[in-house]
Amino acid sequence: MKASSLLDADSFRRHRLAYACAAGIVVLALVETANALLAPLRAPTDRDWRSAAAAVRAGFRPGDLVVAAPAWADPLLRMHLGDLIPLAVAGRLDAARFGRIWEISQRGARASESEGIRPAQSSRHGALTLRRYERPASQVSFDFVAEWSRATVSRVAPGGQVSLCSRVPDRFECADAPAQSVKAELLEIDTSPHLALATSLTGDATTVVEFDRVPLGRELAVGAGLHNVWLRKSGKGTVSLRVLVQGRELGRIQAGSLTGWTLGRFDTSTLAGRSESVRFEITTDDPSARYLGFAAEARS
Amino acid sequence: MTAEVGQRRGWRRPWIVPLALALATSGWLLAVEGHQGLARDEAQYFRAGERYWGWFEALGEAVRARKPGRAFSRAVVDSFWGDNHEHPPLMKTLYGLSWRLFHRCDCVGAKQGLHPIAVHGKHRTLPLFSRESTAFRFPAILLAGLGVGLVYGFARRLVGPWAAAGAAVLSVAQPHYFFHAQISCFDAPIAVMALLVGLAYWKSLRSPRWGILCGVFYGFALATKHNAWLIPCFLVVHYLWMRRGDFLRLRPARVPLAFVSMASLGPIVLFALWPWLWHAPVARAREWVNRHAQHEHYNFEYLGKNWNLPPPPAQTGRWLLRATFPFVSTAFTVPVTTLALAAAGALVLARRRRKTDSTDEPAVINPEPPALGARASWLRPGADVDLAPGMFLAVQILGPLGTLALPATPIFGGVKHFLTAMPFLAMLAGVGLAWVTQQATTLVRPSRLRRALPAALATLLCLPAVAETQRSHPDGIGHYNLAAGGFAGGASLGMNRQFWGYSVLPLLPWIKAHRPPSNRIYWHDVLHDAVMMYVRDGRLPLGIGDTGVGESVVAQSDLGIVILEKHFAVYEYLHWAAFQTTRPAQVYAHEGVPFVVAYQRGAPPPRQEPLPP
Repeated sequence: MKASSLLDADSFRRHRLAYACAAGIVVLALVETANALLAPLRAPTDRDWRSAAAAVRAGFRPGDLVVAAPAWADPLLRMHLGDLIPLAVAGRLDAARFGRIWEISQRGARASESEGIRPAQSSRHGALTLRRYERPASQVSFDFVAEWSRATVSRVAPGGQVSLCSRVPDRFECADAPAQSVKAELLEIDTSPHLALATSLTGDATTVVEFDRVPLGRELAVGAGLHNVWLRKSGKGTVSLRVLVQGRELGRIQAGSLTGWTLGRFDTSTLAGRSESVRFEITTDDPSARYLGFAAEARS
Repeated sequence: MTAEVGQRRGWRRPWIVPLALALATSGWLLAVEGHQGLARDEAQYFRAGERYWGWFEALGEAVRARKPGRAFSRAVVDSFWGDNHEHPPLMKTLYGLSWRLFHRCDCVGAKQGLHPIAVHGKHRTLPLFSRESTAFRFPAILLAGLGVGLVYGFARRLVGPWAAAGAAVLSVAQPHYFFHAQISCFDAPIAVMALLVGLAYWKSLRSPRWGILCGVFYGFALATKHNAWLIPCFLVVHYLWMRRGDFLRLRPARVPLAFVSMASLGPIVLFALWPWLWHAPVARAREWVNRHAQHEHYNFEYLGKNWNLPPPPAQTGRWLLRATFPFVSTAFTVPVTTLALAAAGALVLARRRRKTDSTDEPAVINPEPPALGARASWLRPGADVDLAPGMFLAVQILGPLGTLALPATPIFGGVKHFLTAMPFLAMLAGVGLAWVTQQATTLVRPSRLRRALPAALATLLCLPAVAETQRSHPDGIGHYNLAAGGFAGGASLGMNRQFWGYSVLPLLPWIKAHRPPSNRIYWHDVLHDAVMMYVRDGRLPLGIGDTGVGESVVAQSDLGIVILEKHFAVYEYLHWAAFQTTRPAQVYAHEGVPFVVAYQRGAPPPRQEPLPP
């Protein structure tokens, strides 16, 4: 059968664009239908996850980091490999201290932790891709959160009066502000987990957390942010974290409801190899519903 | 065929198709609703609906005691209708009535105490549904069917029967709309009510009878959800546009009967239907308005960020980003083919008045052209002018979306907040479908093929929407379209995945099987009302534990779930800290995208499988 007996060639010539648009919609419908039927089959299966998890376990070394890409797959990753992701690793300051990173990826995604690194090893597990990345890791000479009990915590009133806070088994308590404590705690900051030194803020005093004889490296990495989505929603104040080494200010981090987890990397290369006191001063313009978390590592 | 028979068939036919579409829709929804968990708000409406029914029982008792006035006292009215009074009562009353009529009574014995009203004995019912929740949902499902029928009827005024049928199918075959159409909430019902009011207004432009009905329907809409406040605003815009010639002639447009009717009958119907207003109409109506006019900001994930605060005025970029939400959400949630058809329909309607090429058969039926010499009056305000269907659909679609985009509007999130636009968007898609059909029939020569094309194209062009909707179930609000990349694509774009804690349903058998000896279970966003309804439905055992809500009770539980919404991350970390593990004992995922995680205190390292939908 000739096309001319099926189609009106004259009309086709006159309305080419309109026919192309109409045909495009029909083709779109076919593509969308096919995708709706086939796309669910592209999702990783439990078998894929088990296979990838087994491969990670076979090569895992203590101190390795395991991540999912995209990040929304993290609960499934943890269901299969959560025993390799303790709280301290899940609530890390950042990924700099991890020299080996295992990434279980789907749909071509890359984790932020592996950005800019070439994979040392890669394998397919159904719809999942397992990659191992290796890189020189930062050596942490002092982890301020892990060493929280070595701190001295005090509150300095606007007039300069200092009140020392006392250490109880799991925290520091401040006699002049019973509602305030300083402790190592897993926090939700910017909807991500962070194991941090946590303190709620009360009054207009400056909260001081000081560590003596900290072995310094080439940099001091400090992360800070406000905990708890509901507190961030209800509070308005900005919290300032001032970082000082041997009384000299290295920098400040401002934490507000919308600032998220802010990471500051302060150069301490001139002090590398020395043990110095590191002081964190916390102030706010409005302490209502402000709960600060900060973590820090001295790194070489 | 005699003229009489032909006339009779012509009279009957207009009802058959919409009725069939309505029944098919309600049947589809009834067939699948059992796989969709109970939404948080829905569970509160179950409770309120049953309480409202309790007032009718109290009224019956008062009448039997020959003291009917007793049921109308403020104390009695408030004791029943005071529940959930931030929302008007029409749908909740229907839910309660449907429950009373159609549930299979398992109400005496152990479950007797689970009801929010006193149950004095076994209810005599027509036990259509095995689950009480289905009986509650039935009116919403019927109304969704009615909505589809109405879309057909309305679209039929613009396009042919196959395109109108396509529009009707496309109105419900939208994953997000479909999700809301099967639950006993207000979002799909208010969309149907907006459509009903819109249709009545449209017909009132030439018929005073419909002008009066418009006010009555508007009262129903007011009694359904506060979105109804906006309906007249959109209609006024259309009306002014339609009568723009009056302004050009410096003649003020008449106030049409429909608006008078909406302003007068609407509040009267609302008042009649809402006993909570009866004893303090002004003060309580003000309370209702203030509750929603001063609404708090919700938490909502959009483009990877959790939004719960208005950005500071200085942050223009964030303001603009927030303003894009309803449009981007529509672009990513409505099936792409439907959007393409709607775009084609918009072009067709925009060009309709300018079209001069009389050799082409018009794709759009001219909606009731003005009669020659007709004069407009407030009873027939559209008698002498073109009814401007393009502008009508534009305001009905862009109005709800635009309202959500305004900086002054609280952060709500969710397609549900502008769901009223979707039936009209489907009608626009129906116009597009008519246009595609017209192109095809113009091009094709064989007459048999031309006759088959409208049905074939309607089927083909509705297929993706139906397939996407089926694919999305029971997690329609987590579904994103082809452009976004489906469930996984939506999650990667940082779009909201869910709300209301409905998604726990697939985990219930696992929770039953792993119920801790202490019975201390943390249900997170699954409200106690929902847990109780799962028990009443027989999906959870009697006496299942519930440690309650709040952050402090997580540590007191031995099994806990977390609904995975971005702002709920804090609850997952509380489990990590309390149970000293980051390893969930179970995960419910749809197409590999996690929706719910469950944690068990001291759980042994298990062999896990994410639960399929």
